[in-house]
Amino acid sequence: MSGFPYLTLMVFVPLLGTVLLLTIPRDRVRLVQRAAAFFSLVPLVLAVVMWAQWAKIPAGVHGMKFVESFEWIPSLGISYFMGTDGLSFPLVFLTALLSFVAVVAGWHMIKDRERAFFALLLLLETGMMGVFVSLDYVLFYVFWELVLVPMYFLIGIWGGPRREYAALKFFIYTLVGSVIMLIGILALYFMAGAGTFNMMTIAQVAGSLPLIAQKWIFFALFLGFAVKVPVFPFHTWLPDAHVEAPTPISVVLAAVLLKMGTYGFFRVSYPTLPEAANYFTVAVAALGLINIIYGALTAMAQKDLKKLVAYSSISHMGFVLLGLAAGTQLALAGAMYMNISHGLISGMLFLMVGAIYDRTHTREISKLSGIYVTVPVVATIMAFSFFANLGLPGLAGFISEFFVLAGTFPISVVWVAMAGLGMLVVAGFNLWMMQRVLMGEQRDEYRGLRDATPLEIFTYAPVVALIVILGVAPGVLTAFLNGPAQDIVLRLGGM
Amino acid sequence: MSWTSLVLPELVLAGTALAVLLLDLFLAPDRRRLTAYLGLAGTAAALAAAAWLWVALEGGTGPATIAAKAAPIAGMLRLDTFALVFKLLFLAIGLLVVLLSIDFVERRGLPVGEFYSLLLFAVLGMMLMAASRDLVMIYLGLETTSIASYALAGLLRRDLRSGEAALKYFLTGALASAVILFGMSLIYGATGSTDLAALMTSSTVRAGTAAWFGPVALAGLVLLIVGFGFKVAAVPFHFWAPDAYEGAPTPVTTFFSVGPKAASFAVLLRVFGPVLGPAGGWSTAMPGAGALPTLFAVLAVVTMTVGNLTALSQRNIKRMLAYSSIAHAGYALVGLAVAAADPRGLAAIIYYLLAYAAMNTGAFAVVIWLNNRGTGDDVADYVGLGRRAPLAAIALVVCFLSLIGIPPTAGFFGKFYLFLAAIGGGMTWLAVVMVVNSAISVGYYYSVVRNMYLRAEAATEADGAVPAGAATAGAAEPGGPDSPGEPVPGTPLVGAALGLAVLAVFVLGFLFEPLARLAGLAGIGM
Repeated sequence: MSGFPYLTLMVFVPLLGTVLLLTIPRDRVRLVQRAAAFFSLVPLVLAVVMWAQWAKIPAGVHGMKFVESFEWIPSLGISYFMGTDGLSFPLVFLTALLSFVAVVAGWHMIKDRERAFFALLLLLETGMMGVFVSLDYVLFYVFWELVLVPMYFLIGIWGGPRREYAALKFFIYTLVGSVIMLIGILALYFMAGAGTFNMMTIAQVAGSLPLIAQKWIFFALFLGFAVKVPVFPFHTWLPDAHVEAPTPISVVLAAVLLKMGTYGFFRVSYPTLPEAANYFTVAVAALGLINIIYGALTAMAQKDLKKLVAYSSISHMGFVLLGLAAGTQLALAGAMYMNISHGLISGMLFLMVGAIYDRTHTREISKLSGIYVTVPVVATIMAFSFFANLGLPGLAGFISEFFVLAGTFPISVVWVAMAGLGMLVVAGFNLWMMQRVLMGEQRDEYRGLRDATPLEIFTYAPVVALIVILGVAPGVLTAFLNGPAQDIVLRLGGM
Repeated sequence: MSWTSLVLPELVLAGTALAVLLLDLFLAPDRRRLTAYLGLAGTAAALAAAAWLWVALEGGTGPATIAAKAAPIAGMLRLDTFALVFKLLFLAIGLLVVLLSIDFVERRGLPVGEFYSLLLFAVLGMMLMAASRDLVMIYLGLETTSIASYALAGLLRRDLRSGEAALKYFLTGALASAVILFGMSLIYGATGSTDLAALMTSSTVRAGTAAWFGPVALAGLVLLIVGFGFKVAAVPFHFWAPDAYEGAPTPVTTFFSVGPKAASFAVLLRVFGPVLGPAGGWSTAMPGAGALPTLFAVLAVVTMTVGNLTALSQRNIKRMLAYSSIAHAGYALVGLAVAAADPRGLAAIIYYLLAYAAMNTGAFAVVIWLNNRGTGDDVADYVGLGRRAPLAAIALVVCFLSLIGIPPTAGFFGKFYLFLAAIGGGMTWLAVVMVVNSAISVGYYYSVVRNMYLRAEAATEADGAVPAGAATAGAAEPGGPDSPGEPVPGTPLVGAALGLAVLAVFVLGFLFEPLARLAGLAGIGM
């Protein structure tokens, strides 16, 4: 155990930033921007320091590192219990990185009510970070819900023309999902009978619950997580939210927010309720395959770049479900890998769509053409991102898809074949889109547009670098993921 | 301790109420504000006295203090933890409402002396209700509160809607009081006593001797549920509330929504806690008493659902908050429904009432603050407030988030505790109904938030430099409760009350552990 409260600082420094930002006079925009960048840089620096120390620190209670724990509401067994392991740390790092990137991207993209924007973005970071490091159900739920509020305002105030609708839809969907999850958590609390909301303790005792209870609780938790992922048919809020949200928020939404749902499966549903997880295997696989194929086909039909990327997200999240359903160590590790690689790649995709939109003021594929000739640097980075998205070997997305499919192969060849079909479609629409947008004749109205600025390149660089590193050296990440994947396999009693 | 010191807060409050009335007679009209400050000081003094009693009684564990807590005061009152918790709550509410009223009363030309003395008498009645150990005393407290409330609702004398509010409130309130009194008489007839403690013992005795005891006492209890159902505005006894809330002066509406309602819940807890609670004193002697939890559950479901659904279509924020208040009474009733199965139900209600008092007072404080500055009470008048009045808008968002039940606010922990009790008591379906209702409630709270933040552009263009709201729809009837009237420069008093309420919304959440333990003690101690 480390005495230094890394996790508390990572969670609450952005919140401190929110408060302090509101004390800066509204018109001091540059100061606001820099302060916001500073407060989102602190968690990133802490994450790097933690990474550097990771191997040296022995795992503490429940295999967790950097544990902080003290009683909060002892009469109900609620504690302030934070810690991180190989499952959550990559997500913590991803959150810290992409939040910082989103803040910097917001510098030139947000031209209205900057102070409120950055304050809410930092509040959002607090909520997301808290979800990934909380090991007590009530604490987890508090952060889970905390994410809703800033997200609602960020979409609702700075969003596109249909922002009211998109923001409300996001709010209602995720609120209903998460409150049902709360009921599942409470049922788990009572049925486990351990008198504690400690996730790890409950995971140890809940496995002995009768199957019928496990099934219902699994179902309630699944709904809460599935809305966030989003799993078909709870996905309809996502394209709306993405299309309306301003670019930095789309980045955070796709890169981090969706991972809260899949993280819930890995952290809570599968280890805690293994029998129910085994029972629902086919259903989860079916939902995963629907996500993969439906997401890909729908993406193909989109005229709007952002919607295309949004549906492509839905398709990729299907791989996470498929990996969970397969339940082999390789498939689970691949699913966790997908969390990170998709976080990086989708973040890049939205940044690039935003970069195009900033210059051309359109996201309609049919109105875009010849971007390569117009802004070669932007177009190159965009091509890189979309190739990563279609699963080009050598980049991070390929590794995760490969792991999931290879891990699923011993379980069901049919599933692999169907997922492969989905991948073909994904490749198809990515290539088709690139051909339409990047190639072709240069349009007159887009002549003389500015190419990527140094600030833009600065924001893209770390993400691009990580996509390459995770594509050629998967051991960097699997070193974290193998342990948790193995734990889940043991819980499930499988291979 | 002498019994005078045990009722010191009540004595201080009653003295202040009378002094306010007297002082008002001798002051020139332009110095009437002094009366308000006297009322404020008196309430603060009563609160200090109650806090002193708290320290003396709750702090000490010696035999003297335990005896003092258990001992009846004049055979009618008890000063147990339950009573003290509620007295502190009521005095805090009284203090906040006085703070909220001072500017409003002056601006609307309400009769100053009458206003504050009625308000303080109503608080006094509420304190007596919470401390009563006797049915007769409960009734006296109830009527003290009710009669003062009827008059308060009608104090905007030149406004028709205020008069209508008072008349509706009076007629239904009187009917409810009659029903309650009839119920009490049936209980007295069955048991031969009005003493709540004696009822517990004599009922079991009588049960063996007379076959009619059970049904008659049960009928009495059901009538009490109906009567107090009116008082807490539970559906289907709620129809008076929206009109009364809309027509009454806004600080009075604030008071109605958190004060007398909480006091009526205190009585329901006092009477039904033992019936439903683990001791189960009466239920063994009363065939049919087993249906009481179901009755409360049905009442809870209908109340929250009708309240939330009707609130969706409201255009006036006071009316909307009235239906929201009905819905929240429904949430609280869940605690009574599950109390038989999980004693935490009672504690959950007590905590919920504390949380609700903070968040709803906060929400109304914003309405009053804006109204004093010339914004109307229509939801449409709130367009663009996020820019015009950023602090008030943020405060309202916090209160609404708490009313919806989003963490880390007090409202979340209140609902969490009710969920916990419901699921622990084996009524998971009731928790699910609450969930669905919470989701519905987002709809109407949202409409206000949307107007404040998401619809900002149009409003700023339209309003220009003109103070907001003056140009919009609310100005239709001068002098009406919706009318912004003349904006006043205003004092920081409303802002102070708002700040306190918002602070309480967070603090009550972070203090969940001690408060829940306290509420548990109060619930068990009855």
